[in-house]
Amino acid sequence: MELNPFVIFIAAIFTSNILLTNFLGMCSFLSVSKEIESSLGLGFAVVFVMTFTSAINYAVYHYILVPLDIVYLQYIIFIIVIAAFVQLTEMVIERFSPVLYYSLGIFLPLITVNCAILGISLFMVIREYNFVQSVAFGAGGGLGWLLAILALAGIRAKVNYKFVPTGLQGAGLSLIITGLMALGFIGFSGIVVIQ
Amino acid sequence: MIITIANTVIIVSGISGFLAFLLVLAEKFFANYGECKIDINGKKELVIEGGSSLLASLNENKIFLASACGGRGSCGFCKCTVKSGGGPLLPTEKPFLNSQEINKGVRLACQIKVKEDLQIEIPEEIFNIRKFKAEVSQIRNFTYDIKELTLKLIEPNEIDFKAGQYVQLEAPPYEKSKHSVTRAYSIASSPLHKDYIQLIIRRVPDGICTTYIFDYLQQGDNINFTGPFGDFIIRDTQSDMLFVAGGSGKAPIKSMLEYLQNQGSKRRMIYMFGARTKDDLYLTEEFRELEEKLADFTYVPVLSKPKEGTDWQGKTGYIPPYFPEYIKDPQNTEAYLCGSPGMIAAVKKGLLENGVSEDKIYYDSF
Amino acid sequence: MKETPQEKKIHENMKAGVLTMHGFLGDDDRHFHEIIAEDKAALEKLGLSCYQIADKLQQITDKAYNSYQDSILLDDKLLVSYNSVRGKTICPFGHPGGYPKGEIKLKNLENGRTIVWTPLNIHMIREHCFFEGEGSKHRLDPQIIKKTLF
Repeated sequence: MELNPFVIFIAAIFTSNILLTNFLGMCSFLSVSKEIESSLGLGFAVVFVMTFTSAINYAVYHYILVPLDIVYLQYIIFIIVIAAFVQLTEMVIERFSPVLYYSLGIFLPLITVNCAILGISLFMVIREYNFVQSVAFGAGGGLGWLLAILALAGIRAKVNYKFVPTGLQGAGLSLIITGLMALGFIGFSGIVVIQ
Repeated sequence: MIITIANTVIIVSGISGFLAFLLVLAEKFFANYGECKIDINGKKELVIEGGSSLLASLNENKIFLASACGGRGSCGFCKCTVKSGGGPLLPTEKPFLNSQEINKGVRLACQIKVKEDLQIEIPEEIFNIRKFKAEVSQIRNFTYDIKELTLKLIEPNEIDFKAGQYVQLEAPPYEKSKHSVTRAYSIASSPLHKDYIQLIIRRVPDGICTTYIFDYLQQGDNINFTGPFGDFIIRDTQSDMLFVAGGSGKAPIKSMLEYLQNQGSKRRMIYMFGARTKDDLYLTEEFRELEEKLADFTYVPVLSKPKEGTDWQGKTGYIPPYFPEYIKDPQNTEAYLCGSPGMIAAVKKGLLENGVSEDKIYYDSF
Repeated sequence: MKETPQEKKIHENMKAGVLTMHGFLGDDDRHFHEIIAEDKAALEKLGLSCYQIADKLQQITDKAYNSYQDSILLDDKLLVSYNSVRGKTICPFGHPGGYPKGEIKLKNLENGRTIVWTPLNIHMIREHCFFEGEGSKHRLDPQIIKKTLF
């Protein structure tokens, strides 16, 4: 497993997009993609939190869970760490940048329970990445998620002006669009695949 | 097995505890803004614990900016000028401010978090506004939908106001309302009585505050209000005065007339009160008495829909057609209006048509 | 479905006893997004737009505004009365500013249908295409609007 971190980074954005290949983080993906502006806010919050929690959880896993032989607790511990980190970030942002707090900070509580974030931490363990690889994977995963939600928000903005049959309105059509987007992203798999 | 379970529990709680401790520590460090100074108009300085909104911090120090939404950032009333400090303008404030205000540094006090020393400017009158605790000493029914409340002041026990001003009454959360709400009501009693105020309140269908007052508030209950607010006050001139009111709009005008009577005013005064039927009239005796006590005062109730077969001898229809009869010198007439926005619009139009100048027509625009 | 913090706030504002005593949703258990979407679809079928309805309601409101205490007759068939009350109310979607309280009642003398709205309703229809939830006091069903006004 000696993948170049940059390769992992690119792969996490395109070929192994956490949202479109693993279908993680679906709930906030569907509900916040109504407007481009808020999806951008949430997207950046995800990038930020994913990058840092993958780094922190790497340390927690290798320096606490493994030595203590409690790897089976990783799910719980990872979630707790993510929640604590999000809380901390919220406090820091509120203190130092009120403007950023209003555009980004309000999405942070929504992220605590985003499964894509936990997914990144768990994949990083399963795939036995080292620290640099983990961080690259976290940042790439976040950017991939941002890319996907931004694309869906853009498409939904267009769909708003079109006639949609009643049964497909809202989440129904969004899921179909997501499926098509996932198919489209398969086209990238010629570049590199990490799974 | 049991050891594993115990171990797991200990480790998970240990890690959670450690993280919680870290967060508490961080909160102490990041969310603690220490003492901040607020300099008001360069005259008064407050030292407060940072961290809450400017509006709340001022309220705690008994400086009451007007606010209708309770700091939710949706009414835009709590404007004040921030000279220094306060951070950048937030997206939540922008919709309420025009470019002139933004250049002057006007902000919404409820959106600014006090994190550093601030220099702000507020209108001088605001210093006079207090929060009062009062006891409901009497409730009188005037008509089927209008009540009078007498509020005896407890803390502070005296109020200084001008006839025509209003207070913001606070209805606490109750069965039908989740939050406490504040609503504005004009003071009906004379400013010479400083130890109590009277309010005349008309039931608003489905109104959160009036329903509380009509169906829940009892004699002997305590209630809070802030005030006095408003610039609907008697202009100190010798012009003729024309008062026009409808519904519960009698309140500020009653206060004004009682004050003018006490001052022995010789000004010519007409008071036209519009109502639907005879059942909507109240305090008629009191105003007839004032006709005797004041030098030159006429009370003219006008009914728009007197019921068939009742013995109504007075004026009927709308108020504006009677203006030519009562306005002697339009150039020299001040008009004081109080009532619903629809009534004010109609009456104002009638007054302008009769030659009363626009800058002499006064009313509260809430 | 998860709500963004703004949506949560809007949802909270619409509940009974927050901004108004009975709230904006009535006994409708649909999410406000669904209510809006379904009303939009209904409007499309009727060949009407939110702006058209808002404009029409505003026109009538303005005409009724100056005739306080009494009803006026428009187009020989619409009997309108404006019960104006002091005070302002705010938009649950968090739009800045206050909207006058009060109620406008309209009766179509030709078919006997009655609708009731407030100045805030006009704003919510124009800006949010929101006609309130089923069972709410000021719910304006697009079907009924069409039959009463157009």
